[in-house]
Amino acid sequence: MKLYLSFFFLAFSYNSFTQPNCNYFLNEGDTLKYEACLQTENAKGHYQFSKEYQIAMDKAIKIDPTFAYPYRAKSVAYLKSGDFIEWKRLIDLAVKYDPLGNLGYRASCRYQFFRDYGGTIVDIEELLRISNADIGHSANGNYHLQVVRALCYKALGRKQKAIDLIETQLQAEGYVIGIYDYIHLGVLYLENGDLSNAKLNFKKQQDYNDLAENHFYMSKVFKAENNLKKAKIELQKAVELYEIGYVMSDPYVHPVDKIFWSMIKVEQKSLN
Amino acid sequence: MSFLCLSIGMFSCNEIKDIEKEPYLRWVGDIQFDEEIDNPDFKLCYTDNNVRQYFNFSKGVQYKGEKPAIDKYFLENYKPTESKQIGFLRIRFIVNCKGETGRFRLKGMGQDYQPMAFDKSITDQILSLSKKMDGWLPIEMEEMNNTPWDYYQYLIFKIDGGNIIEIMP
Repeated sequence: MKLYLSFFFLAFSYNSFTQPNCNYFLNEGDTLKYEACLQTENAKGHYQFSKEYQIAMDKAIKIDPTFAYPYRAKSVAYLKSGDFIEWKRLIDLAVKYDPLGNLGYRASCRYQFFRDYGGTIVDIEELLRISNADIGHSANGNYHLQVVRALCYKALGRKQKAIDLIETQLQAEGYVIGIYDYIHLGVLYLENGDLSNAKLNFKKQQDYNDLAENHFYMSKVFKAENNLKKAKIELQKAVELYEIGYVMSDPYVHPVDKIFWSMIKVEQKSLN
Repeated sequence: MSFLCLSIGMFSCNEIKDIEKEPYLRWVGDIQFDEEIDNPDFKLCYTDNNVRQYFNFSKGVQYKGEKPAIDKYFLENYKPTESKQIGFLRIRFIVNCKGETGRFRLKGMGQDYQPMAFDKSITDQILSLSKKMDGWLPIEMEEMNNTPWDYYQYLIFKIDGGNIIEIMP
């Protein structure tokens, strides 16, 4: 039985990746990392962009320059401000000192913030190579990294590979369905001309996490089948959901396959 | 510092030096007024210490016509060049509480995430077009009586062979 992703992940933000338990390092006999870890706790209560936060992390790095956590913690503000150069320098150091803990994070940020499809694929495939466990989710929790990998292949023109990757992931034992998985898979089928599978996935999305997007793209399926009556009904549902904010969203970037008013207007015109 | 570097030996001293020389302003990414390059007529509604980030409002990018309008604007107005450069160009700026923009700053990088200077035929165009964008919307904070704030915004352009391939966020 598949588990469904709870909205817990929606509350997971880039600000809240876990502060390490410093006692772990003490128990491991790594007193240097223990001291550095305690130092990072001085950043508590400070905004990640603030100099107080950054300086607290700098001091931790001075204590133990091989401690990955403060590099990643520092990098977040640079990521969110679009400073790709400093972000990459810092996150590379986090990956260097803890590849298993940071490769997936770096990969999903490369995809989400920079649409660096090739770089994202390289990172995820390296993580697959070195990891014996599930490779986990994107930093915002919206996607399993295999779905991120699939969306990158799609962007590079390899749609069938993208479909195969998502279908395989959906069948994985105990997989937690992503909040937009069925939309992306449905759109892939739609773009490949497989209307039957597209419809199937938009219906699944409707039953699981009903958004304007699944109705918008369902409308396109009906239009392709020349069923204009049903196409109009679906588009109207998309409008209603759009108006109350039930849409794909991300406070930082525009998600792939997200719809906008101008797209709805174009569809409305084409159906009249 | 030298002793520390020698004693640990597992990392590059440059990594620490890079951190040490980082001059911090109030927040990472803050842009101070520079009288040599900034338009003196652009005014903040509040002080520099009150400028937020666009995502602080959890409403995403606020532009009249949404993201497709931004894409359309550059598609219609940017003229592809003969450049063979590939990389990313970021423009960061401030949108004030009236939707006016100023303090534009450019940063370029190659595919390897290293600094790269793009041809002027690209940077001049994108900077000029960005300054002329007139659809930025003030963002209000519901928690503070729907007061519109000044905020930092950025655009990242993915460039390939003199063409704009993609615009983020």
